[in-house]
Amino acid sequence: MKKAFIFLTLLFALSSVFAGGSSEKTASAPVKNVSNIITMAIPVDPDGLDPHVTASASTFQITSNIYESLITVDEQGNLIPALAESWSVSDDGLEITFRLRDNALFSDGRKCTSAEVKASFERLRGEESVRQNDYAFITSIDTPDERTVVFGMDSLNVATLSSFAYPWAAVVDVTQDNLRAKPVGTGPYVLKSWTAQQSLVLDRNPNYPYEVRNNGVKFVIMPDLTAEITALNAGEVDLILITGDLASAVEGRGYNIIEVAGNGLQLMAINCAREPLSDLRVRQAINLAVNKDEVIDAVWWGYGRKIGSHFPVVLKEYVDLSDTYGYDPERAKALLKEAGYENGLTLRLDLPKNYQEYVNAGLVIAASLENVGIHVDVNIVEWAYWLSEIYVGRNYDLTVVGHTGRLDPYALLVKYVSTGSDNYFNYSNARVDELLGIYQSELDEAKRVEYVQEIQRILAQEVPALYIQDPIQIFVAQKDVFGFASYPINIYQMKDVYRAR
Amino acid sequence: MGRYVTKRLLSALAVLFFVTLITFLVLSVIPGDQAVLSLGLDATSESIEALRSSMGLDRPFYVRYLEWLFSAITFDFGTSAVYGESVTSLIASRIPVTFSLTLFSIAVATVISALLGLFAALSRGKGADGIIRTAVMITSSLPSFWISLLALIFFCGHLGWFPVNGYISPAEGFAGFLRSITLPSFILAVGELALMTRMFRSSLVRSLSEDYMMACEVKGLSRARALFHYAGRSAIIAPITLIGNQAAKLFGGTVIVETVFSLPGIGRLLLVAVEQRDTALLQGVVLFITFMVVLMNLLTDIAVAAADPMIRLGEEGGR
Repeated sequence: MKKAFIFLTLLFALSSVFAGGSSEKTASAPVKNVSNIITMAIPVDPDGLDPHVTASASTFQITSNIYESLITVDEQGNLIPALAESWSVSDDGLEITFRLRDNALFSDGRKCTSAEVKASFERLRGEESVRQNDYAFITSIDTPDERTVVFGMDSLNVATLSSFAYPWAAVVDVTQDNLRAKPVGTGPYVLKSWTAQQSLVLDRNPNYPYEVRNNGVKFVIMPDLTAEITALNAGEVDLILITGDLASAVEGRGYNIIEVAGNGLQLMAINCAREPLSDLRVRQAINLAVNKDEVIDAVWWGYGRKIGSHFPVVLKEYVDLSDTYGYDPERAKALLKEAGYENGLTLRLDLPKNYQEYVNAGLVIAASLENVGIHVDVNIVEWAYWLSEIYVGRNYDLTVVGHTGRLDPYALLVKYVSTGSDNYFNYSNARVDELLGIYQSELDEAKRVEYVQEIQRILAQEVPALYIQDPIQIFVAQKDVFGFASYPINIYQMKDVYRAR
Repeated sequence: MGRYVTKRLLSALAVLFFVTLITFLVLSVIPGDQAVLSLGLDATSESIEALRSSMGLDRPFYVRYLEWLFSAITFDFGTSAVYGESVTSLIASRIPVTFSLTLFSIAVATVISALLGLFAALSRGKGADGIIRTAVMITSSLPSFWISLLALIFFCGHLGWFPVNGYISPAEGFAGFLRSITLPSFILAVGELALMTRMFRSSLVRSLSEDYMMACEVKGLSRARALFHYAGRSAIIAPITLIGNQAAKLFGGTVIVETVFSLPGIGRLLLVAVEQRDTALLQGVVLFITFMVVLMNLLTDIAVAAADPMIRLGEEGGR
């Protein structure tokens, strides 16, 4: 282990020597790509380009440029028009009416009327969709005229409106039979070419009525981050997403560095149904044994905001509970003794192999737990295995993973409903169930905030997980490339990115 | 010869059949499938069931296998679940990369290791022999991800000789294609050097000590003629076999080098097929790789027979 560490340090030292050496050259080298095409490096292919049949962020980051949802969000998470230019909610909250923009066209020239929107939502709620549960709240879709769509619901649900803004609620052309490879939408771009594991090129959609600030986007698929940085230095790409440990490799070189709160959560889940983790004292001891600041520094080089409950810092209902259990290994030992584990105990920690940061975080945490007498068997597993055995199968003690953000707190917290089918913590608390039950039909905004904050406090106390951080994402753009912004949901808006002349 | 080749190809068919069956079995036994992967952290047990049934993953595995097998017989290898594209065209798009990488690196490795092996054999036991053997051992022991990264940062980033964002297809420009393939080929060649140099050296050493070398000397043949016409001819057999094996291995893809240099080769396609549990794609890639291995072995045997008149293919011995 130590040898491997020294080796890695040497490697990084060497790479930074080489990387550093090339700075002068980059400064004087002409930018190769002078046309107004923006090139962005991404690590993996999307999981197809049909937003209704996948939950992969890599898909939405690209499809959010090809399709439009009825509404979307700005950087702060406010709902703004997209395919619909306006909307209204009925007084009883059971009906939402969207007004589509005039003469909306798909990229192939077909008209996108209310009938097409209806068909798309029927598909989203249908059998092939992975979102059928999420949109089951819609009970009727009416189309009184070409530009009006009315969604009806049985019961009041305050989260309804934001569920129309997610990238998976995109309006697709349902007459196409292979949206995975041949997407047709109303968004700013059309797919020009996609060569698997090589590149994906978007051309401007001639039928998109609003401003697009570049002539097209080329996503190049580069699985290795060092290669991405080298390509940025060589002027071959305009935009990359890096991890905190590599931030120093791009600093001070004139790049536009965009640091944004990711609206996500990274945590170590604890299986509350398993002995001895069902004992609150053991879970508390685990929390007291780990120095979160140290984990964030060691794994993310400080790029992250410490949290103490299942709630991202960027949402307005956030309460800072990050110090509910500070770092106190002595108290951790005492609690373990109280719980009857003064002779130590053994837990298994499953880590998903293809998320290196979670593996690293898990290793740091495991070392801390060993210090208080908890022996940890680290088990590094493949992602598909993790999903089916750990997440869906709930066959684990401890595991480290990240959750992406949602616009509405309910969508985030519903994981903790005791009977919830994605409650992989096996957590159960009657008060949390009750609060989540009344939240959706509560019209008083102040009360809803109160409920959400109470849930945050309960989770922070009862720790069904070791809540680590809300990550900070670091995007690096060439010095003449501007306009890239980050949103509280997983989308890229490439139409706003431009090259300064 | 013709009958021998036919026989070999027929037995290859059996091999291919069993390989696909085993791949399918393994894939259906290991946890996780395409439905689970597509749903990720938004999965619920109901949505997984629904997606499985819409993808046909809820049917028993032998039904899916037979279905795949019958269409594979008609050369229809299905559609990739991840890319929504036909498996045949996905694999076809990888062939230029993988073929050129393999052929270039094998050519480079063969030339260099033959020269080094010859030199080492001639100076057997002396300083140069030791230096060559140690040097190729060191270069081949370097982990390929490390040497790839260093080469990428230095030659592509610092010197700017080669493009970083790897691959340029021959259709886009042949010069660019050569530039994009050169560096990774050399790195792959470096990895092959130790084994091949040792093989060249030891077979040369053996044939140099044969009696007929003395006969050559007595006969008054020039050193060069004795070396290339007699020693070289008999020393080439073992290296040919080795080259064939190494080429077969490289046709199976080189995940690490392909990853660092962002090259769309067979290796990364295989990786994504396994990680995404893309059954049709995995079957196609495995078939392709197996076929290449079988083919390379056959070609190697033919080449060996051509080089050594004492080896005859098949029982009849007819060529």
